[in-house]
Amino acid sequence: MAAPSPSPTRVAAGVRPATRRTRVGSRAERLAPLVLVAPAVLVLVVLRLWPLLLGINFSFTGDGDRDGTAVGLDNYLTLFDDPLFRTALGNVGLLVLLLPVAVAIPGLLATFIYLKVPGHRLYRGVYFFPAVLSPVIVGAIFTLLLSYDGPLNTLLGGVGLGPVDWLGDPDVAIFAVVGVHVWATFGMALVVFLAGFATLDSSLLDAAKVDGASLPQTIRHVIVPGLSRTIQFVFVTTMIGMLTSMFGLLFVMTSGGPEGSTYLPEFYIWTQQGRMNRPALASAASTALFLIMLVVGLAQIALLRRAAGKED
Amino acid sequence: MTGSRLTRWVVAVPMAALALATIYPLLFTTNVAMKTKRDYTLDRFSLTDSPRLDNLVKAWTSVGMSRYFLNSVVVVACSVALLLLLGSMAGFALGRLRFRGSSALFLGVLAALFVPFQVIMVPLARIMADSGLVDTYPGLVLAYVAQFLPFTIFLLASYYSTVPSEIVDAARIDGNTLYGVYWRIMLPIGAPALLSVGVLNALFCWNDVLISLLVMPSAEHRTLMVGVTSLRGQYSDDIPTFASGVLIAAVPVLVVYLFLQRQIADGVTAGSTKG
Repeated sequence: MAAPSPSPTRVAAGVRPATRRTRVGSRAERLAPLVLVAPAVLVLVVLRLWPLLLGINFSFTGDGDRDGTAVGLDNYLTLFDDPLFRTALGNVGLLVLLLPVAVAIPGLLATFIYLKVPGHRLYRGVYFFPAVLSPVIVGAIFTLLLSYDGPLNTLLGGVGLGPVDWLGDPDVAIFAVVGVHVWATFGMALVVFLAGFATLDSSLLDAAKVDGASLPQTIRHVIVPGLSRTIQFVFVTTMIGMLTSMFGLLFVMTSGGPEGSTYLPEFYIWTQQGRMNRPALASAASTALFLIMLVVGLAQIALLRRAAGKED
Repeated sequence: MTGSRLTRWVVAVPMAALALATIYPLLFTTNVAMKTKRDYTLDRFSLTDSPRLDNLVKAWTSVGMSRYFLNSVVVVACSVALLLLLGSMAGFALGRLRFRGSSALFLGVLAALFVPFQVIMVPLARIMADSGLVDTYPGLVLAYVAQFLPFTIFLLASYYSTVPSEIVDAARIDGNTLYGVYWRIMLPIGAPALLSVGVLNALFCWNDVLISLLVMPSAEHRTLMVGVTSLRGQYSDDIPTFASGVLIAAVPVLVVYLFLQRQIADGVTAGSTKG
């Protein structure tokens, strides 16, 4: 741009009559936006849209001997008969139940930071930090911390609490993994909440203060309605995160065990594809996961819309 | 409403404890990486009196972390460059220009944002295998570009939609073609957004394990995160070396976070307020 001599195009544009330039340019110019989006569209069509259709199609064909032949709903029947997949679905139910907690924690913390608790300047940067670490790193670190003879149990032993087999007990392991996931990601939601607070009308808060509202009242009547859009966004993204970004943790911490108790759909898909060589069954699980996400996502939006409607 | 001094401290103490809990695991890992195996077995918590770098050196050289590290750097650099190029072209066109089909295309990109990788991974693996891209750098780079392009386009399109159209018009009057406007005006103007989305994409690619495991599985081509997962089995009786490998994989992220925390947060929160 800051070339010392005028560029060739400038000279040409200056010398030639403008009409010719616009007419010659017009056809190429009309195509230009399409040329700009073409490479991106090509990548997305070939490597995202096409596999999506292919996968749905796969899910109605067979594995192994029956590779490529249509088998109707067989894969889906196998899927819902498989105790592992049922456990995975049960765990999805558990995640949905835990979701309000996973949203409330960062929401409350963001509220306190916004209200300037002592040290508030520091917390945002500290809390957000684990969110940028890979689930593999987080999982590896917590495998050490949570191992049976590891630091956490040593610490608990020090205050007289018996050792807990965090990752080896089928009743405990899924909570341990979800707990680590929440530890690693609450900073993400926190930052989103803080961005929401920045758009909040502070005069409403001042008014609440003048009226002598308590903190719970302020949260209920000022902050929640004012942030309804942010809360909706956090609910949906947290759910998506729980359903699609725990693979690294599961892979490193439990490999789906003990006794298959920590399976989630995404881990099931990977196992069927990568270890059992059953791509058609894996595709059926993929399609099921996609439907679950659609249903949960739409239901959340509907619920939250209604809740927000009541507040208004 | 912030209440009495007492309630402030009732809130402040748990928050400080949580901050400690956020930082401690990485400090613990760092300390373990500096210990000998014997030290670790005897006492997990104590600060080692003679911090040693042996384990780090061992993890870097003989365990293969340097190789994995290099693989990751190459793949991440290529992926981010390609993402920024394709993403800014499409983002400029979809965010700033009106043309036939532009809003339909933008909706398509938005829809792609909601298709998680797990849903397409099986057929994608087959497509990669059929086209000979499995276990190649271009294969993994393409997989990353396809995965993170919708997000990149979405962010850059919303950034470019805030650029006043007078800037485009003025550049056109100066005799620039649309390509010229893109290259000479939009790329430099977009620098802050490109930095933010570039850093985020670098983190996504660097941290990924599922896509890498699926597309580039062989030991020789392992990326760093896949390498870390393989360390766990190999060094289950040598925790300090294992911790060193984990540390090596975490340090670049730590450095990026220290310098570019604001850009990362900006990228994460974009879209949350527009809804």
